[in-house]
Amino acid sequence: MKLLLNRETLLKPLQTIGNIVERRPTLAILSNILIQIKDNKLTLTGTDLEVEIITTFDIDSAENDEITLPGRKFIDICRALPAEAEIEVTTDSERAVIRSGRSRFTLSTLPATEFPNLDPITSPLEFNLSQKDLKRLIEKTQFCMAQQDVRYYLNGLLLEITPERITAVATDGHRLALSEISGSFPVAENRQIIIPRKGVTELARLLEDTDRSVQIRLSENHIKVDLDGLSFTSKLIDGKFPDYQQVIPKDANNNIICLREPLRQAFARASVLSNEKYRGIRLQFTNNSLKATVHNPEQEEAEENIEINYQGDDMEIGFNVAYFLEALSVIEEEKVELHLTDTNHSCLVQGQGDVYSRYVIMPMRL
Amino acid sequence: MDAFYASVEEREQPGLRGRPVIVGGAAESRGVVAAANYAARKFGIHSAMPTSQAVRLCPDLVLLRPRMSLYSEVSQQIHKIFLRYTPEIEPLSLDEAFLGVDASERLFGSAHDIGLGIKEDIKNELSLVASVGIAPTKFVAKIASDIDKPDGFREVAKSDVQAFLDPLPVGRLWGVGKATNAEFERLGIKTIKQLRHQPLDAIEYRFGKSGKHLWELAHGIDPRVVVTDQKARSISNETTFASDIRESAVLRSILMDLTEQVSFRLRRHNYYCTTVQIKLRHADFKTITRSQSLPNNTQNTQDIWKTAVGLLDKALAGKSTPIRLLGVGVSGLTKQAQGILQEDLFSTTTTEKEQKLDHIADDIKNRFGTGSIKRASGYKKKD
Repeated sequence: MKLLLNRETLLKPLQTIGNIVERRPTLAILSNILIQIKDNKLTLTGTDLEVEIITTFDIDSAENDEITLPGRKFIDICRALPAEAEIEVTTDSERAVIRSGRSRFTLSTLPATEFPNLDPITSPLEFNLSQKDLKRLIEKTQFCMAQQDVRYYLNGLLLEITPERITAVATDGHRLALSEISGSFPVAENRQIIIPRKGVTELARLLEDTDRSVQIRLSENHIKVDLDGLSFTSKLIDGKFPDYQQVIPKDANNNIICLREPLRQAFARASVLSNEKYRGIRLQFTNNSLKATVHNPEQEEAEENIEINYQGDDMEIGFNVAYFLEALSVIEEEKVELHLTDTNHSCLVQGQGDVYSRYVIMPMRL
Repeated sequence: MDAFYASVEEREQPGLRGRPVIVGGAAESRGVVAAANYAARKFGIHSAMPTSQAVRLCPDLVLLRPRMSLYSEVSQQIHKIFLRYTPEIEPLSLDEAFLGVDASERLFGSAHDIGLGIKEDIKNELSLVASVGIAPTKFVAKIASDIDKPDGFREVAKSDVQAFLDPLPVGRLWGVGKATNAEFERLGIKTIKQLRHQPLDAIEYRFGKSGKHLWELAHGIDPRVVVTDQKARSISNETTFASDIRESAVLRSILMDLTEQVSFRLRRHNYYCTTVQIKLRHADFKTITRSQSLPNNTQNTQDIWKTAVGLLDKALAGKSTPIRLLGVGVSGLTKQAQGILQEDLFSTTTTEKEQKLDHIADDIKNRFGTGSIKRASGYKKKD
């Protein structure tokens, strides 16, 4: 194989796949990336057996060939070369030599035939979305995904596809985020899939704020997303997501409206003195006023008084302040609504006027 | 105590007297000897030996299943006798304990008298034989109690410690196991005296920190005091199967049983735990442990079970290799429930309900035995 490329042409696609190339893989080949030249196209592939990203772009090359080489090292070399450097890659069966200017690197290679393929998508469900919409679904919800929870089906993002909408739901059991978009989708009945955490974060990184569309294909065990010369595939989590509808409060009768940003800033200040482990905050709602207090084991204390719009009974309730801060950070509306039932039940948080996204936070007994 | 389990059995069943008796697991299910009486020891049988080997050494052997609840009851009776003389008790196991008696000498006479008194009380009241070692330090006392077994009584005065230790093999020192012993042997060090005469640098160079510790022990230096009420750091139960198991449903139900035992013990000591751990040994002896921290500390069976079974399912995922041993443990123990409790969106029962259920089940177990009430998915042995 012989390749001659400008550093800038190579670096971006390399970095796109670089994140999923494992540093300490279980199989040696997983730390490699697959490079294929075919019909004047260069294809780069990286995988960790759960997520696979393929990127393709045009080059001038007469030959067809394929090889794998160590991903991290190749990326780090390209990154460290000066801007606009010309990079030449030549390979034989055992070694790859990279030359640029007065530098030369010899990397070990493994045959392309050893590189694992994720199962091909068969009899898929296919539909299109705009990049922007998909990106939004993920960004509004992904921070609520569980991390290494024994309830493995929570370590990912639920996508529920119905004929007229797609709903994304993430929860770690203590709080939940939901966001939906309406449209028309080719399903006869509701379909639920759970994309694992790593796939979700990678996919979010690939998406841009544009109206250009992505093609989504779903099979029994995989999701494949094609966009702008990129192809993303992820395995799905085989499990049953809990009934999220049931935990979204429907008839909360204590309703609070307040400005989002002042509330977020007050909570952020108070959180400085919260117990590092539990992050508890005590909220006292009285007529048109909210007092937020925070203590830590060192007996330090913070108190914030926030102007709100509230006419219900006096109420005191505790929460993990981090859960509020994260939700308030992804809400974009100027005003935010809090809906509470009583001190034992969850709080529904919504941007005022945003009918598409909802956040539910379970209280904490302080 | 001398051959404790076996002696208790002999006391309970006088017909066994004089016959070789071991207490342990069955030979056909990989059992090992937990205790052997002195008649059995004459055949070269010792504890931790596979039962099958013991039976080969002595075909007339009487093999008894351990009755742990009985031994633990006797152990508590012994503990009560100790308490008459001193509150400073550090139990090492069911049948061994360190007693600090400095403060008791005014009331009960010298350490010598106290040692004899305890030995006699145990003999008269429980018909069991104890060996006593008296010394200024814990490790010398331990060696002294072992040295004249059975029915031993040895007092080592402060001025005699060195003379007592010198001729003993280095293997008698705490912390010298097979490997260290072999290393000492390679260096030509056989007795404690020889070790004592080595320069500290040389020993430290070869054995590191523990070398320094051993060298000090050889000089009779042991700063450790009797620690009353040793704080538990973890509680765990594990079981080796009579034959390997690969069915995950069976493993889960055994795990349920182990979890019930562990959480019962946790509550009996009134602890709360913050971490749950499982241990799996595959047929090829490859052993893995997996642990998970809990968002809220707990002593509820249900919370510990959910975490443990989640870990098991993850560890077994997609594989069906036969499993030889399964264990579950809890750690991060605290005496207090944390005041702060993060509520869960999806839990179907409340913490309070689970607590009530556990307490009722514990009461029943305390009254009618640990096997009297079980969760339905627990493992039931065929009789």
